Amino acid sequence: MKKDNHTDKITRKDALKKMGKYAALTAIGTFVILNPQKSQAQSPPDPGGNPFD
Amino acid sequence: MNNKLAPTYQRMFGKYWVLWYFKSNNYSVIETEFKTLLDFYLHSDTLDEFSAKISSVDDVSDVKTVVNNLDTYLESCNASSAPQLDASQPYKTSKRHIERQYRIKDKLITIFYDTDLVEKTIHPSLAHLETNAQPKKSAITFDLYTDNGQLNLFKNQQLITSVPQRDYNLVQGKFIMQLLTVIHAKEESDWIGTFHGSTVSDGTNSVLFIGKSGKGKSTLCALLAARGFELLADDVSPMLSDNSHIYHNPTAISIKEGAFGTLQPMVPGFDDLPITLFNTTKGSLKHIPTKSPNKDNYPCKAIIMVNYEPNSKTQLESASVKEILETLIPDSWLSNHPKHAEQFLDWLVATPLYQITYSDTERVIETISAVFNGLEDKY
Repeated sequence: MKKDNHTDKITRKDALKKMGKYAALTAIGTFVILNPQKSQAQSPPDPGGNPFD
Repeated sequence: MNNKLAPTYQRMFGKYWVLWYFKSNNYSVIETEFKTLLDFYLHSDTLDEFSAKISSVDDVSDVKTVVNNLDTYLESCNASSAPQLDASQPYKTSKRHIERQYRIKDKLITIFYDTDLVEKTIHPSLAHLETNAQPKKSAITFDLYTDNGQLNLFKNQQLITSVPQRDYNLVQGKFIMQLLTVIHAKEESDWIGTFHGSTVSDGTNSVLFIGKSGKGKSTLCALLAARGFELLADDVSPMLSDNSHIYHNPTAISIKEGAFGTLQPMVPGFDDLPITLFNTTKGSLKHIPTKSPNKDNYPCKAIIMVNYEPNSKTQLESASVKEILETLIPDSWLSNHPKHAEQFLDWLVATPLYQITYSDTERVIETISAVFNGLEDKY
């Protein structure tokens, strides 16, 4: 049991080392993509309470 | 590889890069390491070349996964949602039930509304400009009415936009754009964008205040206007391509009930301002008219993200381009013209970015005044 745990730790450490920071970056996706409004708008209505409902 | 999906413009902001994609008009904020990787990929002709480049800086066992991730990223950046097409709507004179006339910068404008509810989407923010000039000879008339669940805006009987009535804020935005083209004698295609934020000037420069709904940007701008600053624009701040300046938006400052207590002692005549009941959860609104600025446009020299927090200490800090754009872009209209996108990025690179947390009105006015004074030193 103990031996298994130990082996597991080494494997994970190795895996992380191999992954490298660039590969890790693309894997976890450190980017944001932002879409502007397609048309001009004022502040959107708060959820609920839309006067036209 | 995959160069047809490459960004059209890119600018560096410290540890971040902001990329603009022509096909979608999307902006992406990425960190330096990701940018290096993306450049390796875009500048490589083959998988082997790319593999060789990244293995020189990093120990990557699975280049194919990296390539897949980069492809997915680039495709997402280039994906654009289909523009909403306005349904064709015939013009109906029979919908003219309420008539109001406004004088805005020496232009007479008449607006016809069909119901009290529809009138509330525009009129309270223009009520301070209402006039009873006779004879009624407006060069410009607008018609705003609902028809089969659609809210329609016509200018001189030509359809400007038609949206489901629940999306009335799109018609409000479109109306403001039309108003701006009339009063500043410009076309819609002359504008870089309309930022979701309020802009205040000291008579030389201006500062754009941004923040999600309820974060206190309009309240802060009303406080500043009560203390001698000029309000250039509330909620919708338009930037013109000719000079990248922000132009005057003449609509009144819209204030929610939660801020009445703060503003009542600071704004002369606050108690006499009419109350508008519109959105049932927002509670009542008041619209504070402000004096027109001395000039109708100013260069915008800073962006401040506003965060009102009860009982907080006033604190002004630098903000990252990521935090600013995550707040600014999704609620703003930005022209998809490449020239305008480049102008927007160039303005952003040259502009200091801050965030302010406040609760004390005196302290926040002092702090913002100091920001303006710092800008003047740069001249």
